[in-house]
Amino acid sequence: MTKASNLSARKRNERIAAYVFVIPAVVLLVAFLVVPMIYTVYYSVFQYQIMRPDDIKFIGLQNYVKLIGDSDFWQALKNTVYFTVIVVPCQCVLALALAMLVSQKFRGVAIFRTMYFSPQLTSMVVISILWTVLYNSNPNTGLINSLLTNLGFNSINFLSNEKTAMNSIIFMSAWQGAGYQMMIFLAGLQGIPGEQYEAASVDGATKFQQFLYVTIPGLQGTIKYVIMITMIQAMKLFTQPYVMTQGGPKNSTKTLVYYIYTQGFQNGNFGYACAVAAVFFIIVVTMSLAMKRVTSATD
Amino acid sequence: MKKLIALVLALAMALSLVACSSSSSTTTDSSAANGDEVIYLTIWSPTDEAAVEAWWVEKLDEWNAANPNIQVSREAIDRSDSYAYDNKIATAVTSNDLPDIFYVDGPQVAYYAANGVTVPLDDYFTAEDLEDFLDSAVEQNTYDGQLYAIGATESSVAFFYNKDYLTECGVDVDDLDSRTIDNPITWSEMLEIAEKCTTDSYVGTHIIMDHGEGLPYALEPLYVSEGMDYISDDGTTAEGYVNSSEAVTTTAWLASLIANGYANIDPIDDEFLNGACATMLGGSWEVATLEESADFEWGVTYYPVSDDTGTAVSPCGDWAAAISKNCENVDAAGEFLQWLMNTENVATYAAAIAKPATRISAYDEEAMADYQEGARALFVEQLQTTASARPRSPSYSNFSSDYAEAMTNIFSDAASTGTVDEEYIQSELDRVSENFTENYNTYYAE
Repeated sequence: MTKASNLSARKRNERIAAYVFVIPAVVLLVAFLVVPMIYTVYYSVFQYQIMRPDDIKFIGLQNYVKLIGDSDFWQALKNTVYFTVIVVPCQCVLALALAMLVSQKFRGVAIFRTMYFSPQLTSMVVISILWTVLYNSNPNTGLINSLLTNLGFNSINFLSNEKTAMNSIIFMSAWQGAGYQMMIFLAGLQGIPGEQYEAASVDGATKFQQFLYVTIPGLQGTIKYVIMITMIQAMKLFTQPYVMTQGGPKNSTKTLVYYIYTQGFQNGNFGYACAVAAVFFIIVVTMSLAMKRVTSATD
Repeated sequence: MKKLIALVLALAMALSLVACSSSSSTTTDSSAANGDEVIYLTIWSPTDEAAVEAWWVEKLDEWNAANPNIQVSREAIDRSDSYAYDNKIATAVTSNDLPDIFYVDGPQVAYYAANGVTVPLDDYFTAEDLEDFLDSAVEQNTYDGQLYAIGATESSVAFFYNKDYLTECGVDVDDLDSRTIDNPITWSEMLEIAEKCTTDSYVGTHIIMDHGEGLPYALEPLYVSEGMDYISDDGTTAEGYVNSSEAVTTTAWLASLIANGYANIDPIDDEFLNGACATMLGGSWEVATLEESADFEWGVTYYPVSDDTGTAVSPCGDWAAAISKNCENVDAAGEFLQWLMNTENVATYAAAIAKPATRISAYDEEAMADYQEGARALFVEQLQTTASARPRSPSYSNFSSDYAEAMTNIFSDAASTGTVDEEYIQSELDRVSENFTENYNTYYAE
């Protein structure tokens, strides 16, 4: 009897301890995530010039009505979705390929792992500036155009042409981001027992069949995780257009987050920016849930 | 158990709310509550080169030693590209965290003044005091009849040319050298030079392509010279101004420079200095760099004028100090600014930052000795005679980013098609005007 109550008392103490440990995280999350989110929704129903925080006017859902008719918003949404739809598969496939390469055992493999991972260690701003120079349309400056003209092609206005600007950003983003996902895939690959490959090869499976029937199923959990985080990251695209193209030319690289920034800070339409942010939040959550459903349906 | 969770969450929520509300009601620490009479003032200004940073340290030490009861400290804020510094001010306004004094770029003065972010300085700078300042500088910093900022330096833009290379291309350099303010080069002359000098290794000319305020700043005189400014004089509308037929003509002329390959759409940094362009519409701040590093002979002549009107106009405006609404000791801040903007300080600051001074008497100081002749004197001459302040409208900051975006689109269109599409130019400028109207009507119209 006393033993049982002792046990439950200890259990309760443990639980209390657990909650005490959780408190700092909860406080931080609430302070820096939940409260700002509530404020965002709150301000989205006001006319709020950023320079006049003391002079805000309740306007109901007008900001949301304006948003529906705002062609720049729809363009930004389209660009964001385009970026996500292209970059997620490209980056994941690239990361998986790199991970397969560097999971081999050979001398100096650590050097390759470090090399592929190193873009992750550099600030995105620095990388964006670097690629702006690489992409420069003048062959005397831009390395890529210098290469193209030397090979007899015409130089390309990578970032100043609305047809190529977004694709140029996609390419460099996939290059920059793949290293991180590679590391996650690598961990996943190392978690697949070697016996499975041995058994498969004894059964006469080719390398490709081994990849298809051993590696891919073994990585299922990892793949889902990688796709999910890459997608959420991609939706939040900001730094590259901010540094490289300022959303242009012709709005071709204006993403939702960049649009929120320009509306809120450059144009001072803080209330409207909050409305866009609230809608953006709903879109990201919906897409994540849909993604989760799709991937768990394959289980 | 559930009660405990609820309790913890409620506690967390309450804590974070307390944290938030206390941060928004922070006041400046300059109050003299306990009979302690020392007033502390803080200044924000953009981070600058070593000589300017050293000037600030020296001058603030001097002031602080002489004025033990008004202690001033400065925080250098990274200006970065385009609008980063303004964003910092915007967030400080939202959190009621503005410093006592902050520097603001000329065309932003009206924006901050109209929104009550800065306070008038008329009590500290009388009309008599201001007589010693360049008209353009006073005009730029005045909004609704009151002075809202005071600056030590000015800026201007003129036409730089690489003499060595132009001679090679058969351009009459002596003619350019001999131009006067009454006889400046015209657009067609500029275009002709650009055409002659565009080769495989050089582009003919250079336009500031910062995707930010640099564009409207450096290009405005072209519009005014053609006959129509960006915005109406009273700052209330852009309709019929930025999208007028004159503005379309001006923009089309600029786009033709890009379309014909006479100017780069994404020029490298210091394109002129690096010998990659033959001429440029460059700022007064370029002079010091060129004197120090150019390995070719260069010259500078007056800002080009429209062939149609021949009206000479030049840009102006620079960063100036303003007192914020959060300043609790406006008189102390005003007193400090009076001292900061005295002739000697203006002269030494202008010399350190390598920009023309706003005070006419500053040019008699030894620090400004090299402004008596040559390229520097030319910029001062422009400032005294043809300078035109940017529109003083609270919606100018919106206009600035919209115009920069429209020009980027127009230039990109010209670069990719190799032609100038006036209909497209009209539609882009119409959009700039519409956005201006919407912003002005939403926040500032009576």
